[in-house]
Amino acid sequence: MAERKVRMKIFGMTCDDCVRTVSEGLRSSGASDISIDLKSGMASFIIDDSRTDPDKLQSIPVFSGESHYKGQVRNVD
Amino acid sequence: MSIDKPEEFDLIILGRGAAAFSAAIKASELTSGQATIAMTGTGPLGGTCVNVGCVPSKYLVEAAKSKIEGERQTYPGIIRGKGSLKFDELMGSLRSAVESERTEKYENVIRNYPNIKVFDGRASFTDPFTVEIINGNGRESIRGFNFLLATGSSPVVPDIPGLADAGFLTSNNIWEINRIPGRLAIIGGGFIALELGQSLQRLGSHVTIIKEHSSISKVMDPEFQMAMINTLQEEGVEFLTGVSVLSVKRTATGKVLTFASGDRKIEREFDEILISRGRKPNVAGLNLEKAGVEFSERGVRTDPYMRTSNERIYAAGDVVDQRYQLETLAAREGSIAVSNIYSPEKMKIELNLIPWAIFTEPQYASVGLTEKMANDMGINCTCRTLKIEDVPKGRILHSHNGLFRIIADPENGKVLGIEILAPYAAEMIMEGVHLIRNGSNLQDLVQTTHVFPTVAEGIKLTAQSFFRDMSKMSCCME
Ligand SMILES: Cc1cc2nc3c(=O)[nH]c(=O)nc-3n(C[C@H](O)[C@H](O)[C@H](O)COP(=O)(O)OP(=O)(O)OC[C@H]3O[C@@H](n4cnc5c(N)ncnc54)[C@H](O)[C@@H]3O)c2cc1C
Repeated sequence: MAERKVRMKIFGMTCDDCVRTVSEGLRSSGASDISIDLKSGMASFIIDDSRTDPDKLQSIPVFSGESHYKGQVRNVD
Repeated sequence: MSIDKPEEFDLIILGRGAAAFSAAIKASELTSGQATIAMTGTGPLGGTCVNVGCVPSKYLVEAAKSKIEGERQTYPGIIRGKGSLKFDELMGSLRSAVESERTEKYENVIRNYPNIKVFDGRASFTDPFTVEIINGNGRESIRGFNFLLATGSSPVVPDIPGLADAGFLTSNNIWEINRIPGRLAIIGGGFIALELGQSLQRLGSHVTIIKEHSSISKVMDPEFQMAMINTLQEEGVEFLTGVSVLSVKRTATGKVLTFASGDRKIEREFDEILISRGRKPNVAGLNLEKAGVEFSERGVRTDPYMRTSNERIYAAGDVVDQRYQLETLAAREGSIAVSNIYSPEKMKIELNLIPWAIFTEPQYASVGLTEKMANDMGINCTCRTLKIEDVPKGRILHSHNGLFRIIADPENGKVLGIEILAPYAAEMIMEGVHLIRNGSNLQDLVQTTHVFPTVAEGIKLTAQSFFRDMSKMSCCME
């Protein structure tokens, strides 16, 4: 297991409810220590890369299908 | 311009044409208008298609068609006379049509997107995240995370001694003329040459198309190429093939071209020259090496997801190294590129499903494989060709020089490609797109009733000709 720090740009958030929904979506897909800045849309969080593939973060349920939130991985440390 | 910290964007689009607009709008939709987008280029907004491509050329084609239709003696008893032409008025109306299309569909549209910032100037990479925009006022650097290369293509101008001094037109500036050239030489004979050549001949020029090769296209069926050349020749367009232009000289009365035809040298005087030798992708000056993007003189290399060799950088439209240069393809690729940037569901471009047309009369349209393409790819195929005279509506229209051709898989009858040379071919080819997209076979086509009498029935009759001798069929045979 390796802990990775991820920075992701989130599009489609307009209010604190959106921030909560996206945070919850990230958490249920394996992210922890989540912080999201509504104004810039930047999220940072930790994942365990043996359980969560950073390349697949863009397609977790909160960003897929009919969801109007889109996430783009900007950096993985 | 500032020397401050470069402005940052989520997406920087190099270009302001069809691919760029489609991408910028789609990216805005996908991100609820939150992606910050920069778009940069030179010249009027909208790029080639609206300003100097599809829109003015189709305007001229339709205007010339309406003139000839008014004059042509098609049905006995309908008496028509030679119309007169105010060419300057026609060209003025063409320029107004272009301007209003550009204003309504580009300039006004982009104002609805506050997240898109439009820059003026040529862009060039200084590192994989930064481009420098250069214009008359200086230089400005902007930084981006993703980039879309959508810089289009430009007319190829051959290096012929004397050409620059004599002066010439290309598809970039022909729209500015107000006097119709009396004797027009078109050097090159691709699709643009054929459309403009036929139109200007119809409007009163004497057009000579000068080509090194006798073929129009490497992929079109040769019978279709001959039929198209015949039609233009019947209308008075002259074809000089197998000749190369050695030099051009301006004289008191015109522009004299010297050609080599075999061992002979021939001189001919024309009033104007239009260069139509194809278009080259605009890759020069972009400094793509600095961004780690692979390219050649044939364009930027992408995968079917429109991604270049740098995974953050995509390309779309005429700048891509691919077999077609089309407005619809540019727009589709722009949209696919940004969908792949922002959406988890990845989309691919399928060139086999892209229809294209030459807007001569009759029109030529094609989708999927031609026999030549199938042969080159080592794909087994079986083909049938039907003449427009075998289609009842074709006979009613007194149409000739028209053809339908279906290319099918001999194993299962699946339609692999369709070529049509007929009135309304550009409209009818959509049936072919759906056939190929749905994996339909010849029987599916035969079992689909078409409206009688229509030119489109030719597609179904061609499918029937795989199974039946069409000369023994009555015209209402299902
Ligand atoms: C006469 C003619 C008729 C045509 N008819 C048809 C038709 O009927 N149907 C059809 O589908 N297609 C047709 N086409 C083709 C169609 O116009 C093109 O395929 C399409 O416009 C390409 O769009 P694009 O966005 O790739 O490039 P373009 O529209 O050419 O846009 C390129 C953009 O890139 C910018 N640019 C260039 N270099 C740089 C640089 N260094 N930095 C920044 N910006 C740069 C330019 O300023 C421009 O804004 C025709 C073309 C011509 C010339």
